[in-house]
Amino acid sequence: MGGLQKKKYERGSATNYITRNRARKKLMLSLPDFRRLCILKGIYPHEPKHKKKVNKGSTAPRTFYLLKDIRFLLHEPIVSKFREYKIFVRKLRRAYGKTEWSAVERLKENKPAYKLDHIVKERYPTFIDALRDIDDALCMGFLFSTFARTGKCHVQTIQLCRRLTVEWMNYVIASRALRKVFLSIKGIYYQAEVMGQLITWLVPYQFSHDHPTDVDYRVMATFTELYTTLLGFVNFRLYQSLNLVYPPKKLSALSSSLARVVSSEEEEAKLDQFPDEEKMEAREKEQKQLETQKKIFEGLKFFINREVPRESLAFVIRCFGGEVSWDKSVCIGSTYDVTDETITHQIVDRPNVDKQYMNRYYIQPQWVYDSVNTKMRLPVEDYFLGVTLPPHLSPFVEEKEGDYVPPEKLKIMALQRGEKPAQQDEEEEEDEEEEEEEDENEEEEDDEEEAEEKNLKKMEEQRSQGKSLQVKVTPGKVKAENRARLEQEEKAEEKRLAIMMMKKKEKYLYDKIMFGKKRQVREANKLAAKRKAHDDAEKAKKKKKARK
Amino acid sequence: MAARRRLKRVAASQPGFLSFKSSSDPTASVGSRRKRVNKNKKKNWNKYSDVNDVDEFLEDIRHQERTTGGLLSEKTDDSLFFLDLGQPEKPQPQAETPQADEGKKRRGKASRPLRIDLILQPDSLVPPPKDILAYQQPNAKKLRRIAQKAERLAAKGVVPRKQKRLLNRRPVDKTVKKAVAEANNNPDRDYYDIWGQEPKVSADPWYLQQTGKKLVKRPEKLNEKPSVLPAVEVIAPGGSYNPDFFSHQALLQEAHQVEVQKKKQEDKLERQLAINKADKATEETNLREQVEGLVEEEEENGDEESAPSKEDEEAALAAIAVTQKKTEKQIKKEKAEKLKEQQRLTSRRQTEQQQQLFQLRSIKASIRQQEEKTKGKQMQRRAKQEAQKAQPRRLGKLKFQAPDLDVQLSDELAGSLRQLKPEGSILKDRFKSFQKRNLIEPRERAKFKRKLKVKYVEKRAFKEIT
Repeated sequence: MGGLQKKKYERGSATNYITRNRARKKLMLSLPDFRRLCILKGIYPHEPKHKKKVNKGSTAPRTFYLLKDIRFLLHEPIVSKFREYKIFVRKLRRAYGKTEWSAVERLKENKPAYKLDHIVKERYPTFIDALRDIDDALCMGFLFSTFARTGKCHVQTIQLCRRLTVEWMNYVIASRALRKVFLSIKGIYYQAEVMGQLITWLVPYQFSHDHPTDVDYRVMATFTELYTTLLGFVNFRLYQSLNLVYPPKKLSALSSSLARVVSSEEEEAKLDQFPDEEKMEAREKEQKQLETQKKIFEGLKFFINREVPRESLAFVIRCFGGEVSWDKSVCIGSTYDVTDETITHQIVDRPNVDKQYMNRYYIQPQWVYDSVNTKMRLPVEDYFLGVTLPPHLSPFVEEKEGDYVPPEKLKIMALQRGEKPAQQDEEEEEDEEEEEEEDENEEEEDDEEEAEEKNLKKMEEQRSQGKSLQVKVTPGKVKAENRARLEQEEKAEEKRLAIMMMKKKEKYLYDKIMFGKKRQVREANKLAAKRKAHDDAEKAKKKKKARK
Repeated sequence: MAARRRLKRVAASQPGFLSFKSSSDPTASVGSRRKRVNKNKKKNWNKYSDVNDVDEFLEDIRHQERTTGGLLSEKTDDSLFFLDLGQPEKPQPQAETPQADEGKKRRGKASRPLRIDLILQPDSLVPPPKDILAYQQPNAKKLRRIAQKAERLAAKGVVPRKQKRLLNRRPVDKTVKKAVAEANNNPDRDYYDIWGQEPKVSADPWYLQQTGKKLVKRPEKLNEKPSVLPAVEVIAPGGSYNPDFFSHQALLQEAHQVEVQKKKQEDKLERQLAINKADKATEETNLREQVEGLVEEEEENGDEESAPSKEDEEAALAAIAVTQKKTEKQIKKEKAEKLKEQQRLTSRRQTEQQQQLFQLRSIKASIRQQEEKTKGKQMQRRAKQEAQKAQPRRLGKLKFQAPDLDVQLSDELAGSLRQLKPEGSILKDRFKSFQKRNLIEPRERAKFKRKLKVKYVEKRAFKEIT
């Protein structure tokens, strides 16, 4: 053999990838600059499928980038800005060393700066793309705006983040876009629906936190640089879509509404007339529901006490149409005082308040959040001062059938359906009834297990449609569902007959499926029993205390 | 020289003057007749007239004028002498008008110059010589002429070229602080509609490409997200500040599981490193090991040696068995056997093929089984790939360390929002999220590495002690 031999690692995946150091040398940048460039342009390292091939036989852990990406980076204009900055630093250091102060002044005046507008336009060619990525930007913006103004990161960045986040919050208030709020131990999660996109972001609590040491600040600062630019442009576009003036003035208090470019009122979006009437009705119904949900706190006047997190509550309340104010000494922008007679709700977090006005409710802040999550005004009695609050449930959890559903949530669902809230006596009755119902359910299940056959077609239909079978066990049903239960019994009868007529193989499969389902149900029952035991224990304790 | 000679002559002509020469010859000098000189002639005015006294007088006058500023005889008495009357008595009423006096004193003192200054001032009548170099200008006339011409032109209204250019030059626009205003994180920067504008470039694309002004298109692959995970992952319902009992327990259980796993790993490692107690070296075994081969036990060695050697020989013999030539018979036999074998195999294959017709059903069944197996494996592989997509990729030296679950124990749970103590740092959470979504590679803080080793030296005092 001679002549043109194929050499190893000269074609294929080995030539598609390049190591980090090689890439850095190709661009003639230092490592922090290279990292910054990659973050700004959105170039990420890749893990090749066959590492040994790409690494030319060795298995050493190396960071690989695609060669085409690096070649693309070579055309970037801000690379030259990075190099200029490096030279600027060198000259400045020299001038400082020689104590040439006039030179220092001159250099500082002509400091090289770069802008990221073209990068934002390149990475997010349409507005919707930008909206999809705005989660991250919002999180970083809110995070940086809570930083203390020490020298660790530029004070200008912190100020810019603060301005942008306040603008965003005001947009959400103006467009009534907020849907869900969740108070967690980490921070507060919000979810809003903007132009059809669901946007979730996390806001830290306002207490000062000490910064962890194993986080790379330069990396985070670079991300923030890009995201502040993106957020600014998105804000501009969003304000434009609502015909509002951008940049808005005097917003930090979140109590004033935004000025409009055109003083015309918002035109409600009219639904297109579709030929299908049923769908139209459903859509109209949904729309109306949404509209009512957006105005939960309309007409109510709130007052926030000093010990309560003001910004979060003000944001949430105003999103749903309420009016807010707070003590003058806390922050600027308070519109009315404690002594105002027309206040309907005062939000307090202390065990008791000195002066109590007659015509207002004193509630704990969780009422606001829970009302937002359940999209209706919950009864205020559970949230009075000194009352043990009901647990704050997460609105981000979607419960499937057969899973454990906490009784609080069931109560709320009942409320949502429009039934009256049950009082204590009724609850006890319900408990007894629940037990009866559970026994009945179990008997029925046994019957079905013993002698069940079903029509093959019906099974296949159901399986193909992916629906679950009709039998389900829900602990804690209300009395009023007796009629529904009769219907269900009839259906169950039919089903039993069908199952009797099934073939052996299909029955075998059916049994397997049912077994799996019943396992879930059994576990849910176990949890419910535990909860019941827990509740009983608590009741007993209460009774003892009452007796004492 | 002439003056000296003249002086000598004049001196010598005076009566009673004793010169050196005259001593050697006294008769010549004493009583000698003075020579008669005609003083009317101009020649003899300088030779024979004695002007010393006048000279001295004039010198004296000039001296006085030079040094003391005029003739002393013409000076007033006050300027030359003063009467020393001792200490003058201070006037009594001083306290009455102290301020007025002070002012006066001060003014008087300030107005009157110091005596020492007066004494030291140059007061000669001879003025210092004029510094003519200061008044010398080589081209004074020319400059004067130029200035006069310029004046005349300016009076007429003609402006010289240089001035014209100065006036025409535009004033400098000072672009001060442009870098600060341009910076990306300026809090007052303004934004515009970046998506609504039409692209500015309207020139020829070839021109743009050649001059390097065309923006390079971003490759499509870069627009894909590196991970399918969402940007913000909401914490489980047990992480609420006032959680429901069971969801909180579930979260605690998860955290517990993580800890159990960690403990398991540690135990596994310990178990692997553990050694059996019986295997541990005791003193006895140590001694035996050290003594091995040293103690002589010849008889035993002899018996043992002979036995193994025999066996070795036999084995060696067997191995060295020479392959003798095969006879023709044997070769033929082998060939026939081979043929037979082949025939048998072919006939067997034929019958198998014929029988396979009747085995169709079982063959089908086995094929179906295999297909199902492959399908099952394909599904598994696909599911694994999908799961892999959600995992963080290995992008560098360090593996991704999942962050600890943020959990508050039952006794740490706060009853109200006011008493809530936040758990975990969002900064860290975001950092880990970036790593999880493959946006950055996992990194740890750079350690401080010393390039040169540190030497420890005891101080002299301590050296003596220790």
